[in-house]
Amino acid sequence: MPLEEPILCKRIPTHPWGDPVDRKYVDYDRYVATGGYAAMDKAIAMPPAEVIDVVKAAELRGRGGAGFPAGMKWSFLPPDDGGRRYLAVNADESEPGTFKDRLLIDFDPHLLLEGCAICMHACRLDTAYIYIRGEYHAQAKALQRAVDEAYAHGVFGEGSKLGQINGRWPECHIHRGAGAYICGEETGLLESLEGKRGWPRIKPPFPAVAGAFGRPTIINNVETLAMVGPILDRGPEWFKSMGKGRPDGTPPQVPASFGPKLYGVSGHVNRPGVYEDELGVKLSYVIEELCQGMRGGKRFKGAIPGGISMGVLGPDEYHAELDFDIGKKHNCLGLGTAGVIVFDEDTDMVAVARNIARFFSRESCGQCTPCREGTSWMYKILCRIEEGGGRSRDLDMLLELAGSMGAMPGTTICGLADGANWAVRTIVNKFREEFESRVTREKYVALPVMG
Amino acid sequence: MAWIVKNSAGATIDRREEAYLNEAMKKRLEKEVLWRYPTRQAATLPVLHEIQHEYNWIPPQAIEETAAFLGLSPAQVMDTASFYDDFFLQPKGRHLIMVCQSLSCEIMGHGRLLDALREKLDIEPGDTTRDGKFTLRVAECLGSCGTAPCALFNETLHENLTLDNLDEILNSLE
Ligand SMILES: Cc1cc2nc3c(=O)[nH]c(=O)nc-3n(C[C@H](O)[C@H](O)[C@H](O)COP(=O)(O)O)c2cc1C
Ligand code: SF4
Ligand code: FES
Repeated sequence: MPLEEPILCKRIPTHPWGDPVDRKYVDYDRYVATGGYAAMDKAIAMPPAEVIDVVKAAELRGRGGAGFPAGMKWSFLPPDDGGRRYLAVNADESEPGTFKDRLLIDFDPHLLLEGCAICMHACRLDTAYIYIRGEYHAQAKALQRAVDEAYAHGVFGEGSKLGQINGRWPECHIHRGAGAYICGEETGLLESLEGKRGWPRIKPPFPAVAGAFGRPTIINNVETLAMVGPILDRGPEWFKSMGKGRPDGTPPQVPASFGPKLYGVSGHVNRPGVYEDELGVKLSYVIEELCQGMRGGKRFKGAIPGGISMGVLGPDEYHAELDFDIGKKHNCLGLGTAGVIVFDEDTDMVAVARNIARFFSRESCGQCTPCREGTSWMYKILCRIEEGGGRSRDLDMLLELAGSMGAMPGTTICGLADGANWAVRTIVNKFREEFESRVTREKYVALPVMG
Repeated sequence: MAWIVKNSAGATIDRREEAYLNEAMKKRLEKEVLWRYPTRQAATLPVLHEIQHEYNWIPPQAIEETAAFLGLSPAQVMDTASFYDDFFLQPKGRHLIMVCQSLSCEIMGHGRLLDALREKLDIEPGDTTRDGKFTLRVAECLGSCGTAPCALFNETLHENLTLDNLDEILNSLE
């Protein structure tokens, strides 16, 4: 069911409510004139623990890829000890196919800043760092402008409306990355923030206990934090009236898929772009209604549901519901960032797999052998298949390589390897015939494995 | 591939009398940047960005100066600097062109763009034109997948690129 009114896009003209050509930066005054920062004022008047309870009750799940419940994350923090505690905002947005956070930063950055302020009050965090990827030059400027405005109007800095937190006036700083996908992984981000190479850390300890500079730290995605203001404003019940609840019989601890979501759609559709709709809308609806159909009237061949790490949906999964349960239902890793990439019938899936494997081999940070070696081997094998030199056993080798790497099989530190694993595995499996037709068949005798 | 490290043990460093990280820059950084972080090391990325902004690349001597400024060893700063694709440890052209090669851009025709640039500039990705005007690079997803193909020309993102507007952009760069 389509969303009744835009929520995250309230001030950002978006189809069907507005025309993207009318988008412009919303400054502090216009933000406040349209109801902005009222949720922050409301939150400040509440005891911090109650604010966390509201976010918990709304069952807001992280929009950065993993879908972890935000309220639960916030309640993992140890009791405050008077020392510093940090908020790290993940604006690294580098997952191919993902361009939704950029929309919020470009046009309505105060929505993010208000969410940060509420989170800092609720979790007793005195300093926020917004980690924004280095290539987002214009976005860093827009964000800096908004941060300056927020300081000038008493959101942050000395005399802040939030009052002192941990004995300090709350601060909000922008920290620019420098071109490394892995710095979007939360602990890679923290290392980078500390001035080091972006090597993900072994967990535990989790950032909520020992994060930035060894202190308790909350890390959330831009869209997750942007959602906090509207939830405080209108309440958890309103939030849960959108999206999809738990399937019947599921215990209440299992998180559901409530609320609106930004879908960034690219690829072979007539009108690509970022759209806001409820969680759980069908892929076919996104393509036909939001994006006005396949480009040139071509047939649908497949799609990536949420950034290339998530794997692929095949031709028979055209009606897949885009919610957090998509992984279980459609044999992919999950909803990810909801950055949907659509392929038409002319798309070469071997090339798609090769492109993805190249991405991961280039962006692997190199700490874990299965990831560092596995991604480059997959890339080499896929190049060979694409160029016509592949053999049928290459396909099995690809699947074996892919299936053995990742934090989920327990062989790597972070989830980058799982992304590579799922992407390559699902493409080869769901388009097996296409791959078979590209390799030469051969008989081979299995040799005993040494070692 | 950030984990590929070059052996720089025998490399000699070109030095100059004048500091890259000069007193004015240090003063400004001290005032505007360092107070934001609980450690001096945390300012490594902002300082390196500043140096690259000023000199268009990060000379080895500047790495040593950054280390001295932040109370680190040059090896620590080098370790960080060499990890990030956006830091140039070798001089680059006056204009940097970064063509996105990730999935949405590839399926929307980034190949034609890249070929056109190769031909016009007569260089391969990773190289700099002989006159030092352009450095061409391929980049991963630039966060503009809905308006693919796209490329960054210096700090400006150009979306929905075609061969026609490519010429216009190139001509507009001095
Ligand atoms: C390799 C890798 C890259 C990631 N990149 C991003 C990113 O660019 N932006 C983001 O918000 N989360 C990214 N994540 C997810 C973060 O680790 C983390 O789960 C998220 O920022 C938490 O915020 P959320 O709970 O609000 O979603 C990435 C994860 C992995 C494993
Ligand atoms: S899984 Fe890959 S990217 Fe993640 S820490 Fe290990 S080597 Fe680095
Ligand atoms: S794939 Fe090129 S901008 Fe995202």
